Amino acid sequence: MKFPKISPKIWLLTAVLALAASDASAQLGGDTIFKSSMNSGPVEGPFSPEEAARFLQQATFGPKLAEIERLTQIGYNAWFDEQFAATRSEHLPFVYNLIANGDNNVFQNERIEGWWLNVLGKNDQLRQRMAFALSQIFVVSDQNGAVEGVPTTLAHYYDLLSRNAFGSYRTLLGEATLHPSMGRYLSMHKNRKPDTALNIQPDQNYAREIMQLFSVGLVRLNNDGSLLLTGGQPTPAYNTDTIRGFAHVFTGWNYSTCVTPTGPNQTWHWDYCGTRAQTDPENQDYRLQRGWLEPMKPFGEGSAFVDIYHSSVEGPIVTPAGAKQLLNYPGVSLANGILPSGGTGRNNMNAALDNVANHPNVGPFLSRLLIQRFVTSSPSPAYIGRVAAVFNNNGATPAVRGDLKAVIKAILMDVEARRPTAVNRGKLREPLLRLSQLYRAFDAASRTPGRMKEYTSYWMAQAPMSSPTVFNFYLPNYQLPGEITNLNLYSPEFQITTDTYITRIVNEFGGKVFWQFQGNTSLPPVDQWNPTLIDIKRDLSFANNAETLVSRYNLLMMGGSMSTAMSNLLTAHVRSMPNNNDDDRLRRVQDVLWLIMNSPQYVVEK
Amino acid sequence: MSYLKRRELLQRSLMAAAGSTAFAMLPAKMALAQSTLTGGSLLRGSPDYKALVCIYLYGGNDSVNMVIPRDTAGYAAYKERRKGNDEVNHPSNLAVPVASLLPLNPTQGPVNGGQYGLHPAMTGTKAMFDAGRCAIVANVGTLVRPTTKAMFETPGTLLPPELFSHSDQSVLWQTPAANAATRTGWGGRLADIYRADNPNQVLSMNVSLSGDNVFQSGVQVAPYFMNTYGVEQIDSIQTSQANCLPATDWNARRCRTFKALQDLGATAGTAGHAFERAYVEKTQRSINTAAQVAVAIALHPANDVKFRPFWDAFGLAWTAGSTNLPELPELARQLLMVSRVIASRTTLQMNRQMFFAAIGGFDTHDNQNADHPDLLRELSQSVFAFYQVLDTLNASESVTSFTASDFSRTISNNGDGTDHGWGSHQLVFGSKVNGNRIYGKMPSLAPRASNPDEVGYGQIVPTLSTDQYAHTIAKWYGYNQATATDPIFYNLQYMTNAGGILSIPGPDLGFMQAA
Repeated sequence: MKFPKISPKIWLLTAVLALAASDASAQLGGDTIFKSSMNSGPVEGPFSPEEAARFLQQATFGPKLAEIERLTQIGYNAWFDEQFAATRSEHLPFVYNLIANGDNNVFQNERIEGWWLNVLGKNDQLRQRMAFALSQIFVVSDQNGAVEGVPTTLAHYYDLLSRNAFGSYRTLLGEATLHPSMGRYLSMHKNRKPDTALNIQPDQNYAREIMQLFSVGLVRLNNDGSLLLTGGQPTPAYNTDTIRGFAHVFTGWNYSTCVTPTGPNQTWHWDYCGTRAQTDPENQDYRLQRGWLEPMKPFGEGSAFVDIYHSSVEGPIVTPAGAKQLLNYPGVSLANGILPSGGTGRNNMNAALDNVANHPNVGPFLSRLLIQRFVTSSPSPAYIGRVAAVFNNNGATPAVRGDLKAVIKAILMDVEARRPTAVNRGKLREPLLRLSQLYRAFDAASRTPGRMKEYTSYWMAQAPMSSPTVFNFYLPNYQLPGEITNLNLYSPEFQITTDTYITRIVNEFGGKVFWQFQGNTSLPPVDQWNPTLIDIKRDLSFANNAETLVSRYNLLMMGGSMSTAMSNLLTAHVRSMPNNNDDDRLRRVQDVLWLIMNSPQYVVEK
Repeated sequence: MSYLKRRELLQRSLMAAAGSTAFAMLPAKMALAQSTLTGGSLLRGSPDYKALVCIYLYGGNDSVNMVIPRDTAGYAAYKERRKGNDEVNHPSNLAVPVASLLPLNPTQGPVNGGQYGLHPAMTGTKAMFDAGRCAIVANVGTLVRPTTKAMFETPGTLLPPELFSHSDQSVLWQTPAANAATRTGWGGRLADIYRADNPNQVLSMNVSLSGDNVFQSGVQVAPYFMNTYGVEQIDSIQTSQANCLPATDWNARRCRTFKALQDLGATAGTAGHAFERAYVEKTQRSINTAAQVAVAIALHPANDVKFRPFWDAFGLAWTAGSTNLPELPELARQLLMVSRVIASRTTLQMNRQMFFAAIGGFDTHDNQNADHPDLLRELSQSVFAFYQVLDTLNASESVTSFTASDFSRTISNNGDGTDHGWGSHQLVFGSKVNGNRIYGKMPSLAPRASNPDEVGYGQIVPTLSTDQYAHTIAKWYGYNQATATDPIFYNLQYMTNAGGILSIPGPDLGFMQAA
């Protein structure tokens, strides 16, 4: 069975049944009818194309008809197995090859181009969606002078996120920490040990952010994400001593490409370490240089002058002298969370990262952030607790902590993701995901194969790895003033939903639906304007039937969540439009799509 | 004026406008305004009008060629640093001829003396300076602590991050502190406080003529974008007409369904979703704002005679009633639109506003002699005309404008241009400015080896901080909380006379009259 060949009537029937599926018996009826047409289906679901489409909205960059069909046939478990095994698509090759082939005009817009080509066209959707979520937690952004001219290092960092998307949290944390783009972005790169004579104290930037944003958060949490109170008050997760301790650990790291020092006082090699490897050609393009693409290294590692800028014995604690206060928590493996004086830069780094990754906050803290990216802005404590439990122990023998593959499956297969009941469930769709959904649903392509330019910051205040600060595009705890605050709900995406961006988004989607479609003969020549074009003319074949058109787009764009009232309004709208020729039918398709994409029911993904 | 009387007047003006068929939307907006007024959000402050206009010069304005020494010794040093560094290969001499400078004779010069002149392209600024409506603030820049050349060269000194980088320094110029982690601007943070003073709670207090910016972004307040033609409106449906009328319009049907879907999302109670209601409210607000502003500024069309100074300032022909007037330079067009919004301040019920206008092109690494004079002229003449218009609008005492830029440029010449610098001179305009004065200390333009202010390669250490500059303007606007724990300008506590580093210590540089 292939969906595009299904008779419109079956589609209608399925859609109507799903619409009525607000009580169990109706749901069962829908299941029964759909399954009887399938003969058999997966026991874990999905039990209807609508359920499949709804799942794919959460787990991919947007459903396509063929993928809805396939998921409905094979079921969630097989789908996860396929996704976990799918070939990983990379972002670096696109920009790297452009530069290596002599294209001088390769900057962040071209990195973003590679992102679009991957998320629209590649099959490792869940991995890429996870990488995108992680890129909003472990933030590195091109809105920073240190990395803005080097698209390659950011693409390489993104590939690091996708490589670890189904791996271990501890590995991810370590690789992100040592990536040169992170080193430059949060200034751990070239952070050096204290020097009283020179009045130098270690930079605390990365020490703060790794704890506040990437792992633990400011206050102690129970496993369900609720605040762990002490004497009725929130309990700080760390203090200034902890920040100073980590700041001292995070010293002595520089590009992998530094000249190996041959004496103790060669500050020149430290201060002016470039990103080009000594063995690479002197005229190598700076964007291709290895210092931007290899993990940072302890300066002097492998020589007699290793760690001369690392604070090995210069920790801030007085007694025992030279030790460093790290995180202290029940079950911490370092006694009282104190890292003893001494040790190499690399070993101390590993001890510090272990100390962070094993903090009991990490499970609930990270689980909540990921749930917000995939499912709902305000998960219940029970939901956070269930996912955090999987983070703490993936159930394997021996048990593994921080298994992100188990975590993402737990997030998406939770009852609160699959059969939510809370009135205010779900989230405002991220602007970028609204666009990717449209593009995937309608097989978008530019008129130049292999290229695709999108300038989304301008009109939706969001572009991959381009947030204004390390605090992402929006804060996880943002509460829109008014009813949302009064109900104590969280609403991160509302933070970028301003008067101007609402207008621009509505207008840009208008441009895409009414103008930027494949087969539009009125487009200017490609050398003047080469936008991404969607294929809406493919749907002219059933645009004569208002119900079919509305129910198809209900499935594709809204996972079948359209209310009867909305469906009736749209159906009446289409019926009131002429239906004499393909031009009429095109206008029907365009109107329905534009009206859905700008409707409150669509914009809030439930 | 009593509150009630004021409210009555507002209603009358709205009624008068509603009498015209062109303002079919106004009854709805009047209801909106009424509900705002009766909803408990009463006038908090005084009913006077105050606006700030940030004129941002993207790319880093070479202020060394804007305010130029004209005494013999000063000009000689300037000429030496600005000469072509290789007369054969790089013949471009950046020094502006001394005879062409527009001489300034301020009532108060820089603390280290010397005579200065403006670039010859800035006749409008010269006139405003002489009339006491423009002040020059010397060598201001991003600082976390007062900093000397020696301190700069000592590792470990607290410095603003990523000095000399456009993206970072342009942000730090707009934040209230040069090491701010969040990108909220000082204008946005003030707007979080003062927006409650506006009877109109629909239109954002902060209006940008140049897109998104840090200066106007607060915790709650986001800038509202306009362009030089007016407001951005939803263009796939007829949103400027009430109830999607006329019904015969080509997209009236689509408009009606769009609105019906909005109404559906606004469903109250358990039948609806709080996020849908919030989205509908925001969308409606955005549509109302656009319609409100469009209607209001239509009362003050661009070709009205009161805006004629913009054309005169650039020597462009102006004809009464013409709808095809010559095109103005970009900054003039932006300030013309700001003038139209200010002219509408009573209709719009706004008494606290901030505007952001900006032009680019100041990153003059090369071709500086060809490009920079035109930019300075655009700045000078646009602001000159703007204040002539504000005089007509009785608003020149209510509107203070100030320049900001990423940084100034190297005092040295790179061949035919200049590179990224640090400290810079800025201009403040308005009738409440203590003008015809130069504030602070002019930096040395001596050769590199003997220059006490120069770090790196032609960059000048600032002797005033951006926080002091911003706070002086904010204080005029009404903000006066600079204490050791000022929540917005939190580095001001360090901008003292300790070490004698700053040319003017403290939170108020003195270039504004009392609020």
